[in-house]
Amino acid sequence: MKTFYVNARYLIVPVMTIATILGIFIGNTFAWLGVILFGANTIIDTLTRGIHLRADFDDNGNSFGIKRLQYAVMYFMLPAFIFLQVILAWRLYQYTAFIPFNDFSFFGIPYQDGITGFNLIGSVLSAGLWAGLGIIYGHELSHNRKEGFLTSRLIMALSGASHFTYAHVYNHHLDLGHEDDPATAPRGRNVYTHAWLSHAGQSQYSYNLEKEKLQRQRKSFFSLSNKWILGYLYSLPSIFLFVWAGGFLGVLSLIVVWSISNFLLEALNFMGHYGLIREKGKPVEHRHSWDNDNLFTSWFFIEIGRQGDHHVRGETYFWELDDVDAPNYGIGYFSLFVLTLIPSLFRKFTQNLLDDWDRNKATSAERKIANQFSNFS
Amino acid sequence: MFSLFKKKPSSYSATLSPSGKVINVKKGENLLTAALSAGIKWPYKCRVGSCGTCKCKITGGKISPEIDFSYVLNFEEMNTGYALACQTVLKTDVKVTINLKK
Repeated sequence: MKTFYVNARYLIVPVMTIATILGIFIGNTFAWLGVILFGANTIIDTLTRGIHLRADFDDNGNSFGIKRLQYAVMYFMLPAFIFLQVILAWRLYQYTAFIPFNDFSFFGIPYQDGITGFNLIGSVLSAGLWAGLGIIYGHELSHNRKEGFLTSRLIMALSGASHFTYAHVYNHHLDLGHEDDPATAPRGRNVYTHAWLSHAGQSQYSYNLEKEKLQRQRKSFFSLSNKWILGYLYSLPSIFLFVWAGGFLGVLSLIVVWSISNFLLEALNFMGHYGLIREKGKPVEHRHSWDNDNLFTSWFFIEIGRQGDHHVRGETYFWELDDVDAPNYGIGYFSLFVLTLIPSLFRKFTQNLLDDWDRNKATSAERKIANQFSNFS
Repeated sequence: MFSLFKKKPSSYSATLSPSGKVINVKKGENLLTAALSAGIKWPYKCRVGSCGTCKCKITGGKISPEIDFSYVLNFEEMNTGYALACQTVLKTDVKVTINLKK
């Protein structure tokens, strides 16, 4: 029973992603299901903010997580997210081709042919929100076998962010808490600025990483050995699909989907290390990351909120990550995300947490760096 | 042909030099994790294959890299059998040269 509970609880996103796909497929106002689920998750996350659980192990210290099952689910999410784009493209085509409204059934699933502009907007927003949540699998797979790394790249490519996989492993894990890490938000920055700076900075890092590697290998920058270029090529099928499906409206829709999904990705980076400081070259410790591990956040985000343990034990499977007394926001990611949307509110919320970190967790060198940001408090 | 039916071992051994210590590495487990579990003070930092601190030289046996080593190891290291222990899984028993005094 425990084994079932530990493994089934991480299926929230796959189930809700399938529900979002079905909603867009069924059409009519069901196209807004993805948006509604996102809102419902925010409420559930807020209501469960007081519940924190530890990682589950049996008496012999073995985890209850079934590696093959969890990996199967993660790999399944690539075709799931592809299908999410395909189903949105289908709706775009229906709108631009003025397909008349008609009720049909597909293997017993009723759906409405044709879509209104209002429900197309719902489809686009639903797809963007759930494509953004794909990053939790892109992140987890970036830390695993070669095929996992490639799958991560492909999942991120669906959001035009294939560079993330390299930047996350080679830049963020090495440089977190330091100004050399574009994914770490310094104190005073808001999530909107961070979204742009982090995305561009990580892409630039990947560009430089690839350039240096190819120079060492005496290969041309402009070749298929260039993973930075290849990453953007992986995104071409999405672009072609949306151009074909909806022309100019298709391109606009893809821009909206990518903007939402990348914003969610960078919001997670923003929340993960906001304002925390590490002296360059010093070891990464638990205190250099924010944990965010209330029950719903933990299960929904497959323990991505256990940043403290993850950054010290990067090779650890997500279901084995634990509470390591890292700095903790105390509320879930959905709730925190809402706060980040109002920068002054977020700064007010985090001020006491950062003051406490400066007093009780920072080294004197880190406190010295933190003082440079005191104007933003 | 019959090797297809041969049961694959559940673990391999890694013989470290110059210390001479032998550690047991479970199938699928990376070399660094196995070493740390055995109480070996193997140098490491990031544990995700990005810093190179855990690099070692594989002088015998076969390994499977979990990540592309060429982003961290230089040309000479790549060609002389160096590997990142945190991203190395064993395919056979191996011999490893590692400077444990780093």
